[in-house]
Amino acid sequence: MLALLQYLVLGLLVGGIYALAASGLTLVFGVMRIINIAHGAFLILGAFLAFTAWSKLGIDPMLAILLIAPISFSLGWVIYKTAIAPVRTAPMASTVLLTFGLALVVEATMGVIWGNNATSMTPSYGSESFSAGSFYVPKAQVYGGLVAVAVLAVLGLILTRTWLGRAIRAAANNPTGAELVGIRVGSVSAVVFGLGMAAACTGGAIVGVLYSFVPGTHYMWIARLLAIVVLGGLGSLNGAILGAVLFGLAETLTSAYVSTAWATAFPYLIVFAVLLLRPQGLLGVRRREDASAL
Amino acid sequence: MNGRIGRRLAGILASAGLLLGGVACGSDDGGGSDPIKIGASIPLTGQFSQEGTAAKQGYEVWAATVNENGGLLGRQVELVIKDDASNQNTVVADYNALISKDKVDLLIGTYSSLLNLPASAVAEKNNMLYIEPAGGAPEIFERGMKYLFFSQQATADKQGKAFADWISTLPEADRPKTAAYPTIDDPFVSPNVEGIRSVLEGAGITTVFAETYQSDLNNFDTLVSKVREANPDLVVHGAFFDDGVGFVRSMLKANFKPRWLYQTTAPSLGEEYAKAIGPENTEGIIFAISHAPQAQTPGNAEFVKKYEEMFGGLPPEDAADAYGAAQVLQAAVEAVGDVKDQAAMADWLRQNTVPTILGDLKWDEAGRPQGEFLTGQWQDGKVEYILPKQFATTDHVVMGWQPGSV
Repeated sequence: MLALLQYLVLGLLVGGIYALAASGLTLVFGVMRIINIAHGAFLILGAFLAFTAWSKLGIDPMLAILLIAPISFSLGWVIYKTAIAPVRTAPMASTVLLTFGLALVVEATMGVIWGNNATSMTPSYGSESFSAGSFYVPKAQVYGGLVAVAVLAVLGLILTRTWLGRAIRAAANNPTGAELVGIRVGSVSAVVFGLGMAAACTGGAIVGVLYSFVPGTHYMWIARLLAIVVLGGLGSLNGAILGAVLFGLAETLTSAYVSTAWATAFPYLIVFAVLLLRPQGLLGVRRREDASAL
Repeated sequence: MNGRIGRRLAGILASAGLLLGGVACGSDDGGGSDPIKIGASIPLTGQFSQEGTAAKQGYEVWAATVNENGGLLGRQVELVIKDDASNQNTVVADYNALISKDKVDLLIGTYSSLLNLPASAVAEKNNMLYIEPAGGAPEIFERGMKYLFFSQQATADKQGKAFADWISTLPEADRPKTAAYPTIDDPFVSPNVEGIRSVLEGAGITTVFAETYQSDLNNFDTLVSKVREANPDLVVHGAFFDDGVGFVRSMLKANFKPRWLYQTTAPSLGEEYAKAIGPENTEGIIFAISHAPQAQTPGNAEFVKKYEEMFGGLPPEDAADAYGAAQVLQAAVEAVGDVKDQAAMADWLRQNTVPTILGDLKWDEAGRPQGEFLTGQWQDGKVEYILPKQFATTDHVVMGWQPGSV
C-alpha cells in the first residue's frame, strides 16, 4: 500500500511538470490552429538558459524562471512576427513543416552555443528528498511541481480574469467574430505564441533540474507532449493538465506494476484507446469544421 | 529571360561538375601525393552524442599526429566525418555516401553496437576494411564477416568478467549475497550485464531484480524504487551516459545506497560523469574500461599529450578507443603498403598482433578481440585502475559505494 502511494505521488509530480510543459503547445493550437513542432526545442532551450543562469551567474534554476519567462516571451513574440505570422493562415501541413524546420534551427543553435554533450544541473536539493521511513518525495520534484502549479495558475488567471484572456479565448473560439468586435487576432496570436514559448522554457528549466539533456532531447519531448495534448483535447488547457497527469501516472504505474520496458510505450496505448472512443480527446470540443472534415 | 539564366546557370554548374569530377577521378586512381581520405559517420547528436563526440576527437588526434609525423604511406590523412544523429538508418546512408559520393579510400567505425551493426554490413558489402572502436555486442561477430575487427580488448559479454570474478571471490563479509540488474535494452549493454550475471549466479550470488528499460526512459525514480524494494547488496547497472547519470541521481533521491555499485559506460566518461552526479557521490563506483591514461602502452603518452593540447584535460575512454582503432587501421595499411587491397589488410590483421594505446590487440577469424578489459574504480574524485593486477594503478580498493564521502 505504501509502495502504491509512493508511485502515485511520483506519478502526480511528474504529471504536474508535464502539464506545464504541454500548456503552451495546447494554447498555441487553440488560438492559431498551429501544431508547434518546435515546442520541444523551446523546452530544451529553457533548460539550457537555466543551466547558464545556474552555472555562470549562480542563480538557482527554479528562481531563474523569473528571468527566463520574460526573455522567452520576447523571443517567442519575435519568432512569431518573423516566421509564423506569414504562414499563420496557411494549411496545417505548411505550419507543421515550418515549425519542424524551426525546431531543427533551434537544435543546431543550441548545439553551437552549448555543445552536444549531456548537460546536467545539480543544485543541492537535486539529490535530496523529504522522507518518512521508506516513503520519500524528491525535493526537486516537489519544488518543480509547485512552480508548475504556480505558473499554470497565473496562466489560468490571465486567460479567465483579464481582458487579454478574453481576447485570447474569443480569438480561439471565433477568429472572424473576434476581428469584428475589434480584437486584433494577429497581435493576440503573437502574445499567445510568446506565452506558449515562455511556458515551454519555464517547464524546461524544471525539466533540466530533473533530467540531463542534450539539444536533440527535444524529439523525445515533442512526441510525449503531443500525445498529452491530443489525449486531453487539442486546444484545451484543462485538457492538457488532465492529459499530463494521466500520462505521468500511466508511465509510473506501468513501470511499477507491468514492466519498466513498457513504461515509455504503454501510455501511448492509452492515448490510442481514448482517441478511439473520443476522437476529440478527453476535454476537447468537437468543432463544426472537424465534423465536416470527416 | 528566366529560361536563359537557368540554361546559363545549368551550363556553369555542368562545367563545374565536370571539373570537380575530373579532380575526383584524379584522386581516385590513387596515390600520388593526394591525401588519403578516411570516412566515418559518428553520432555527434542524439542519444550517443557524448560518446560520439569523444570518438571524433580521438580520430582527430590520430590524424593530427600521423600528419605531423609525415602521414600514412607518405600521404597526408584527411578525415571525412558525418553525423549519423545516433540513428541506424542515417548511419547506413552515411557510409554508403562515404563510399559512393565522397569516394573515401578507407572507412573507420562508428560508436556503439547499435550503429556498428548496420554500418559494418555496408563496409562488408563493399569489401572494405572496417575497424570499429566500439561495438562489442557478440551478435556483431556472428554474421560471417571478413572485413570487421573490433579494436578493444574483449567483446561485451566478457568486459565485466574481471570484476565479476573478483567480487565473487571476496571474503564472505564483503561478498554480496544478492544482486540487481537494471539494464538498458541495447545489443552492447545487455550481453555485458548478462556476462557478469552468469558469473555471479555461478558463484551463488542471488539475483533479486532483473529488468530492461527502453532508451527513451528518462525518469528513473520508479525503477529505482523497485530496485530498492528488492534490497540488493550489489547493483549492476547496464547503462550509457544519460541513463547512468539519471539512475544514480534517482538512487540518491531515494536514499538508496547498496553496498556495491557497478555501472557500464557512464563512469568511464571522467569529469563529465563526476560533474553530473556530483564528485562527492562517485566514491567506490566500479566499471570496466578499455584505456588508462597512465598506461605504458605504445604511443599512449603521445596520445594523452596531444589530446590535452587539442581539447584540454584527460582523454575520455571513447576518444582513446577511436585512436586505438585508427592505430589498427594504420598498422594494416602500412603492413600491406597501399590502401587498395583491403582483403590483404584483413588477412594481415587476422594473423598478427597490433600494439596500440589499449595494449596489444589480436583477433580470431570473426574479428573478435582476444584480450582482457581493465576494471576502474572512482577513488577520491578520480579514476584508479584496480584490475588486472599488472595494469593496476593502486593496490587500494574502496570496499563499496560511499556516496557523499569525498
